[in-house]
Amino acid sequence: MEDNFVEGLTEVTCDVLVIGGGTAGPMAALKAKQRNPELNVVLLEKANVKRSGAISMGMDGLNNAVVPGYATPEQYTKEITIANDGIVDQAPVFKYASRCFEIIGELDRFGIRFQKNANGDFDLKKVHHLGTYVLPMPNGDTVKKALYRQIRRERILISNRFMATRLLTAKDGRIAGAIAVNTRSAEFLVLRAKTVILCMGAAGRLGLPHSGYLFGTYENPTNSGDGYSMAYHAGAALANLECYQINPLIKDYNGPACAYVAGPFGAYTANSEGKRFIESDYWSGQMMQEFYNELQSGKGPVFLKLNHLHPDTVGEIEQILHKVERPSRGRFHQARGTDYREVMIEMHISEIGFCSGHSASGVFVDEFARTTVPGLYAAGDMASVPHNYMLGAFTNGAIAGEHAAGVAGEIDLPEFDSELVSLERQRVLAPTRRDDGIPPNQLEYKTRRLVNDYLQPPKVTAKMQIGQARLAEVREDLERALVARNPHELMRSLEVSSILDCADMAAQASLYRTESRWGLYHNRVDYPDKDDDNWFCHTLLRKVDGRMVSEKRAIEPYIVPIEHEERTAYERLRVSNQA
Amino acid sequence: MSAFDPFEDFGDAEEIAERLTDADPAVRRLAVIDLAETASIDVLPHLLAAGEDHDASVRLQVAIALGEFETRDAARALAKLVKDDDPSVAQAAADSLAEVKDPAAAAEILPSLSHPSAFVRAALFRGLRALRSSSSLGPALGAMRDADPNVRAEALAVIAYLKLEETLPSLIDATCDADASVRAVAVDALTFTTKAAARAAVAAALSDENWQVRAAAAESLGRIGRVCDADVLVKGLGDEYWQVQQKSLGALGKLKVQTAVPAIAQLLESEIPALRKEAAAALGEIADPAARESLMELASDADPDVRKTVRWALTKLG
Amino acid sequence: MPLALSPTTVPVVVDDAKCIADKGCTVCVDVCPLDVLRISDLTGKAFMKFDECWYCMPCETDCPTGAVTVNIPYLLR
Ligand SMILES: Cc1cc2nc3c(=O)[nH]c(=O)nc-3n(C[C@H](O)[C@H](O)[C@H](O)COP(=O)(O)OP(=O)(O)OC[C@H]3O[C@@H](n4cnc5c(N)ncnc54)[C@H](O)[C@@H]3O)c2cc1C
Ligand code: SF4
Ligand code: SF4
Repeated sequence: MEDNFVEGLTEVTCDVLVIGGGTAGPMAALKAKQRNPELNVVLLEKANVKRSGAISMGMDGLNNAVVPGYATPEQYTKEITIANDGIVDQAPVFKYASRCFEIIGELDRFGIRFQKNANGDFDLKKVHHLGTYVLPMPNGDTVKKALYRQIRRERILISNRFMATRLLTAKDGRIAGAIAVNTRSAEFLVLRAKTVILCMGAAGRLGLPHSGYLFGTYENPTNSGDGYSMAYHAGAALANLECYQINPLIKDYNGPACAYVAGPFGAYTANSEGKRFIESDYWSGQMMQEFYNELQSGKGPVFLKLNHLHPDTVGEIEQILHKVERPSRGRFHQARGTDYREVMIEMHISEIGFCSGHSASGVFVDEFARTTVPGLYAAGDMASVPHNYMLGAFTNGAIAGEHAAGVAGEIDLPEFDSELVSLERQRVLAPTRRDDGIPPNQLEYKTRRLVNDYLQPPKVTAKMQIGQARLAEVREDLERALVARNPHELMRSLEVSSILDCADMAAQASLYRTESRWGLYHNRVDYPDKDDDNWFCHTLLRKVDGRMVSEKRAIEPYIVPIEHEERTAYERLRVSNQA
Repeated sequence: MSAFDPFEDFGDAEEIAERLTDADPAVRRLAVIDLAETASIDVLPHLLAAGEDHDASVRLQVAIALGEFETRDAARALAKLVKDDDPSVAQAAADSLAEVKDPAAAAEILPSLSHPSAFVRAALFRGLRALRSSSSLGPALGAMRDADPNVRAEALAVIAYLKLEETLPSLIDATCDADASVRAVAVDALTFTTKAAARAAVAAALSDENWQVRAAAAESLGRIGRVCDADVLVKGLGDEYWQVQQKSLGALGKLKVQTAVPAIAQLLESEIPALRKEAAAALGEIADPAARESLMELASDADPDVRKTVRWALTKLG
Repeated sequence: MPLALSPTTVPVVVDDAKCIADKGCTVCVDVCPLDVLRISDLTGKAFMKFDECWYCMPCETDCPTGAVTVNIPYLLR
């Protein structure tokens, strides 16, 4: 098996092109095909759809299931609005909340196993103070398999090991398709399409993990932010990118500590004295700020505490945690001789990233998953629906697939400028034309190290500006000297280019919003206060005439009103009455 | 520049099937994997034939592959492979059997339920559970007398999934099973009805010798109980296991048992933060103004979760 | 600027005696999301070619013969 360059170019035509075959993507493709079986639906994936994306080994559970009898769409919409400091267009959130139960039923029929009581009814767990939203998946390892089975049955065309690099647009700005390159041969693929759905996951390789291992990220490292970069270059608006993703993790292992799994059994996040310290109620930037403060304090570091539970209960938790989602977690603890029954497990915070699954930023979409570019959709972790997690990826993927299929059935294939293809070929293949230069791993390390040094919160204006200047130097190196000796290195090279784009966007967005909001996510030390008068709005970032610009966008009027009283009730809940 | 086909090609089933006659079992095994990948129901006859392979590794692969098909034919083959002498084949077949979706498949599974191996019997009942076929009821009821507790637990699940009032006597009997895990399932299973007999059985389980059964009983009682069931729950507040105390608190809160307020308030002084929090939450649910004073005392508790719950509870008290 | 060869210990190991890549198997190579496994031309067996592993384990889970073991990358251990 040699990894050699092969000269090759193929152009294919389809109706609906779905890019990214992780979670949202397969669902989008499935729904598009079911909506109109006449359509040609293509699912393009950088890895292999069978085992790609955040859920490659399965999941522990649904974090945000809105199930009748446990919560209502209105209640969920309210809570998400409050948890995101009000910076939310409610329509997509409400749409998700109204449709997700139907999707759970569908996933259940696919054979994805959710926790049920002895009578076979869904068995939700209460984790938050207000609603009950967590539906565990004790056999969550079935999820990808079951999804893949459906895709194969519907005869959706699958293109594995192709990495999308740029979108194609028509003269009028409408989407016209995408360009991709094979990750094992560097052959070129031009995909013409009537509608395109972006499902390329989070930007998970933005910050550098504390271990220094480039691929030891919280997110699946195939998600290098290509989707954000492609949307940006196609002229789509990206919302609130300054609202980073930062997660609490098992230190060094850098995988989820899983309060959602262990919480219902009585486990909790503690400081070195074994005491609880988190005041806030939601998985939010506020919570991460408290986590960060405790880490830095004399009572740090922070731990996951299970050693007060009955050994049988711990066994039950281990059974879940070490089997699905990140099954190597058990091996990590074993190698260090850590037993949950005896000691608390050291935790830390993750590197920064972009991800709406856990925060509120992403390619701006409305309640039909439409971006600001006609014909272009986005769903899952890269789209701006806040806190949507896995079920949001499935549900919004479905919404995108259905709408995109409807549109594709009505329009002709847009024309595009073939000049774009040859320009993109030149850009993509440039690192392969050099025999000498800087390899992608070094460029990536440096970019991500700069992200940690200058862009990670607490954010300081002067530091971020220095960061911008240093990143510009790296970009020069990338354009001048990046070298790829085989197609695999070429994939990594293209990923560095996305990572660099995301780093630039992170800096631009963070500098633009001159206030602090969302706790740690956008903690600007030199603008410490929340400024609702000037900043109770979205920020949109986009490419205009080749330049990165930011603007404000008003929040759509709420469809589920939040009484002033409710907002302050939440504040009261989370603010401690002691110092 | 050459053109290429960018789409996955899963191969021609007949061509792949030819490799099933190869002398090398590894090659036959890989052929089974490839057949399953085609996701075409047409390959099923080939897989059924490969299920007879004399090499266990090939049969193992078939047992895994059949999990992809969810049909009655697949169920028939799996019911057979569950009886395989090789334990890994049997285990894989059991797992795949649980994937079968077609209710008609029950007919393929039922004839084997009297198999001498307890593993096989348990696996078959596990396969039957989600099919919710009424034809499974008789055999499942019979299996509640099985000597093996795993078989009884799986059979109990088959019965419980059907949610039939007529099965109440068996479910109630199961709350007195010799095995604690069966008793815990039974206590959970009874929550589909609020019939007095079911409630009484669940209430009785609060005196079970096993703490996990007691905890499950407290939780179940919270779902189907009435205020008149409060006595046993109040007793549960004094359980030697905090887990049972916690579930009892939750249940009393859910049932809004006003008379339990003083007993609950005592647990506000527990050393275990989880109990202080649950007690505060229960007092909030019951919303008896009489609890205000004791709640106020906890407003500056050392544990933030307790403080939050107290603040929430105080708003409920008005 | 010549490129140097920096040694690195890889986390994923394959038991050559169990691996049936020489019979046509490519399962682990196919499923790896990071695309870091290859079949060796020399030995006809699977091996980890690039040290870019998410320790996610599809390679180990899906290998039909149990030939793959995923360890935690050294820097994290
Ligand atoms: C470790 C971890 C634990 C989690 N736990 C939970 C949980 O318990 N509960 C819960 O509800 N949620 C959880 N989440 C969140 C949830 O998994 C995600 O929100 C959801 O899966 C995201 O789906 P997605 O489709 O957006 O992205 P993904 O599923 O990651 O899919 C993105 C896909 O795009 C492909 N791709 C990327 N770039 C390109 C390109 N250039 N060309 C082609 N393809 C490309 C990738 O290979 C990948 O397959 C967790 C996430 C992680 C990482
Ligand atoms: S999956 Fe296993 S048998 Fe197949 S190539 Fe990989 S290591 Fe070898
Ligand atoms: S653990 Fe994951 S990333 Fe590492 S080799 Fe296996 S499949 Fe690939």
